Amino acid sequence: MKGLRTVILVLLKEKKDIVLSIICGFIAGITAVGLFSSSGYLISQAALAPPIYTLMVLVAVVKLLGIISALSRYGERYFSHRGTFTMLGNLRVSFYEKLEPLAPAIFQKYRSGDLLSRIVGDVETLQNYFLRVFYPPIVIVLVFLVTIFFTTFISIQTALILVLGLLLTTFVVPALFGYRQRKVDRKVRQRRGKLSTDVTEFLYGFRDLKIYQQVHDKEKDLLQSSNHYVEEQERESIHNLFSESVNTFISLLVSVTVLAVGAYLVTVGQLDGIFLALLVMISLTVFENTTAMAAYPSHLQDSRQAVARLDTVVNEEEPLQQNQTETMEQGIAPSIEFKNVHFSFPGETGDTLKNISLNLPAGSKTAIVGPSGSGKSTIMQLLLKIYPVGNGDIYFNNQSFLQATQESVWENANVVLQSNHFFYGTIRENLELAKDGLRDEEMKEILRNVELGHFDLDDQVLEKGENLSGGEKQRLAIARVLARKAPLWLLDEPTSSIDVLTESKLYERLFEVAKDDTVILISHRLTGLEKMDQIIVMEKGTIIESGTYEELMNQKGYFQQMKEIEKSVFLGE
Amino acid sequence: MNKLKEMTMEQKNKLVLLIILAIISGFAIIGQGYLFVMIIDRIFLKDHSFSEITPLLVGLVAVLLTRTFFTFWSGRTGIKMASIVKGKLRQSLLNKFSNSPRQASMHGQSGQKVSVMMDTVDEIDSYYSSYLPQVIQSSVIPIMLLIVIFMEHWATGVIILVTAPFIPIFMMVIGFKTKDKSEEQFDKMAAFSGTFLDTLQGLTTLKLFGRSEQQRDKIRKSSLDFRDATMEVLKIAFSNSLALEFISMLSIGLVALEVAVRMIIFQDITFYTGFLMLILAPEFYTKLKDLGSAFHTGRTSMGAAKKLENELSEQEQAVEWGEASIPTNQPPSIELAGAGFSYESNGFAIENISTVIRPYEQVAIIGKTGAGKSTLLNMIAGLVSLKEGEMRINGEKRERISEKSWFDSLSYISQDPYLFSGTIADNIAIGSIEETTREEIIKAAEKAGLNKLIDTLEKGYDTPIGEAGRGISGGEKQRIAIARAFLKRPSIILFDEPTTGLDLQTEQILQSSIKELGENSTVITVAHRLYTVKNADKILLLDNGELRATGTHTDLLESDEMYRNMVHTQQGGKAE
Repeated sequence: MKGLRTVILVLLKEKKDIVLSIICGFIAGITAVGLFSSSGYLISQAALAPPIYTLMVLVAVVKLLGIISALSRYGERYFSHRGTFTMLGNLRVSFYEKLEPLAPAIFQKYRSGDLLSRIVGDVETLQNYFLRVFYPPIVIVLVFLVTIFFTTFISIQTALILVLGLLLTTFVVPALFGYRQRKVDRKVRQRRGKLSTDVTEFLYGFRDLKIYQQVHDKEKDLLQSSNHYVEEQERESIHNLFSESVNTFISLLVSVTVLAVGAYLVTVGQLDGIFLALLVMISLTVFENTTAMAAYPSHLQDSRQAVARLDTVVNEEEPLQQNQTETMEQGIAPSIEFKNVHFSFPGETGDTLKNISLNLPAGSKTAIVGPSGSGKSTIMQLLLKIYPVGNGDIYFNNQSFLQATQESVWENANVVLQSNHFFYGTIRENLELAKDGLRDEEMKEILRNVELGHFDLDDQVLEKGENLSGGEKQRLAIARVLARKAPLWLLDEPTSSIDVLTESKLYERLFEVAKDDTVILISHRLTGLEKMDQIIVMEKGTIIESGTYEELMNQKGYFQQMKEIEKSVFLGE
Repeated sequence: MNKLKEMTMEQKNKLVLLIILAIISGFAIIGQGYLFVMIIDRIFLKDHSFSEITPLLVGLVAVLLTRTFFTFWSGRTGIKMASIVKGKLRQSLLNKFSNSPRQASMHGQSGQKVSVMMDTVDEIDSYYSSYLPQVIQSSVIPIMLLIVIFMEHWATGVIILVTAPFIPIFMMVIGFKTKDKSEEQFDKMAAFSGTFLDTLQGLTTLKLFGRSEQQRDKIRKSSLDFRDATMEVLKIAFSNSLALEFISMLSIGLVALEVAVRMIIFQDITFYTGFLMLILAPEFYTKLKDLGSAFHTGRTSMGAAKKLENELSEQEQAVEWGEASIPTNQPPSIELAGAGFSYESNGFAIENISTVIRPYEQVAIIGKTGAGKSTLLNMIAGLVSLKEGEMRINGEKRERISEKSWFDSLSYISQDPYLFSGTIADNIAIGSIEETTREEIIKAAEKAGLNKLIDTLEKGYDTPIGEAGRGISGGEKQRIAIARAFLKRPSIILFDEPTTGLDLQTEQILQSSIKELGENSTVITVAHRLYTVKNADKILLLDNGELRATGTHTDLLESDEMYRNMVHTQQGGKAE
């Protein structure tokens, strides 16, 4: 239960809905018991031909109970669902609060895009926790306790049988099956994982499979995994059904026992026969609610797993910011210095960056180039404090970077990443992210500056900007930082999907705006670098050359060879 | 929906079984009522001794066991039906995908297909495992109960008959209202629930702009909006069941009142009959109410079924093959005569391509983005069928060549070769048709310049890669594809040359490897390097899906203006 504690804490914020759900559930349950038992009593009374008014009272009671029961059932559903959705919102917020300090490093670690959808799915799973795990047992136990209490006035023996039945159907049977459930469940997940891998490989690798003539074999594998998975699912469903059936049967058996014991007591004269029907009706009705308990273990299990998975995501690493309290100097273009910086990615052997030393004066313009995998983006990640520097240190205006908070670095920087997120909404909303109080005119001006003049501020942007082309997204990302006006520019391949002509126009404007600022541009292309103060060429985590364009070309080294290859690239896309 | 019915009919036996099981359960429910009433009646009014009713008690336990057992059996039958259907659906999806030329030629939408194959198929489950058995039970058992009620005490039957029709009527009226309302709310709900994912995905951006605090409130607000929208729909559903509850309450109340009045005032029915009515009538309404909840579960499956139906209905023509084999000692000649292909979905086409590729020729396909270069390569690879014209291999129509012998002589090195989960050695070995030794694999890896990289890995050739394995860069992937080709020694090589971003070493390896492979085979390259184009025996210049010009570098420089421009801008050092 330890894992679920966090969820329970979030849950308890909605006390009102919880209490109302429990009260309504309890009333609905107890009135149903009252309704059926009094109708049993009514019919027995009727058999003895009582005065008509007793009958009228009973009928009125039955009706009243019926109406109360139906209404409170409605209330129970309403409050429990409202509580559930409110709780879902709280859970999202609480999880967001935990995840937020870990970003963006955590996203670097889990490269696969489905981590996030998994998180969302797991949080969604937890909505069942209140609805199916947390409050139903409380209601059941309450209804039972009150019913049993009243039964003791009629027949102690029956009350004891009910207690036994409660223990069996609500605790013993679910616990027994819950134990087995875990094993079955684990197997289903294994099989599902296998099938999912097979399907993914089959579909994504289809062309290669076709050419290597492996389609047939893979198809057979896939069908086999599918069958295994279906078999395991079947086993699980039957297991659940069986546990439900056992539970139902036990509850019916309890009612038979109530009947047998009651009948015996009547024959020996210890119980008035008029109560027999009543007792049986009580027993049949009160156990109707316990069938739901059969599904309890699987819901509990789901919630547990969801929490465990969420916990591993947020608890795996400590946020970086601890002990980092200093703020970087704001509002001035910094000089940047790397002194013997080493870095390796967590969990990987071998340095991604080896002994990097750099000196970028304030207001200078630097380009970092190199093949993919050479470590140029890693430099960017270190500058953004997404990862801590392994060895060595970075200095901004001679102030050590080590103690500075992430926020103070970001606040001073205009950042364009390789992939930039755009939110569902409008162009305006996405631009407003950059700065408060931007006027429409300003935003339109900026859009024109990035050659997006044809966009209207109210144009819709879909999730992840999926209705925008790659080039449009990059231009919009540049627009966003243009609005921001911070004195340090960190640009990671900001124009890779933009054609050379537009690119040079963009750079011209950008460098105009940033003429007094420090700019670091990571570039995949070697064009347009002639005006940079410094070009740093990287390969395999080291700086192999640096200098101005002219110097590097005259040097006839790596840069010049890369330039030759680029020249020979025939109509590169 | 039709698909579900169709697949149900394929399992008629099980359907019949479900009906029989429902009938038996019905008898058990009725028997249970009778026995409870009999026992109470005899003890309460007829002064029977305990030993006299013992057989009845035993009978009751037996009946309850029967009821539970047959309900279990019915559910189990539904589960089994679901398993069969899920298996079959996956198989037909698989058949469809594996015969689909589009699957081979386009990479898009694979993610969506994965989810169809996994989740959508699973969503079908509840239709068979709970909806169908419930529907059958709810249609069979109430009728049986009604018959018994009529036989025992027709007045109760009449009350039920008069009130029961209100249930479906109510359901329909409210159902229509809910449907309109839900559709209205649905977009809203989808938008709200998407906000959370959207925010998480954009967390980096938010933090860089110092906006993550504000976003927390946005999540809270959108969650609450989502709650309110959902509650609107749910409220209707809940009033629906409230109404049902009221109707059944009302009629059970009426039944009780009628029975009591008859017993006391007219004294023309017994306790036995009256009690029996009071036990059977609620069973009747419970079954009807169950139908309502079953309908709810069935709806998801029906949505899923529709999706699957759409997926399966798009029939595509599989690529045709024949029996003839290609000689293995030298590359075949490949001839395209008026060949063309188009994708139905986006209307993009290449047409009227005619050319002859002789054995050992080095061919470069060039053209602007979107000119149809990759499509032409896929066409030559035999991954798609021609829509017009023909392709001849050694003078024989491509359709008459055997698939095996064609792919045995072919290697395709794409820009993004797929790595399968397994070790590096496995991934290289997939290139070969025959069993390979470790030495052969190492030799192929050496030729592809992979050995140095592999030596730095702790597990060397046994390092797992692919899904769940070590990350492999784009350049390394292509080198693995080249190693596959060295192992296979094909007579035709199709090569999609990478654009930029490779390190100098990989550039050199690619050039020298392709050159070496080309000594024994025909090489057809979608070319991005001037070097490759200049050295080609034949250049195919594509423009807008048509073959604009064919010839060597010198030929085209002289004859084609577009080519001249392309080369010129290139050497000026500026693309485009």
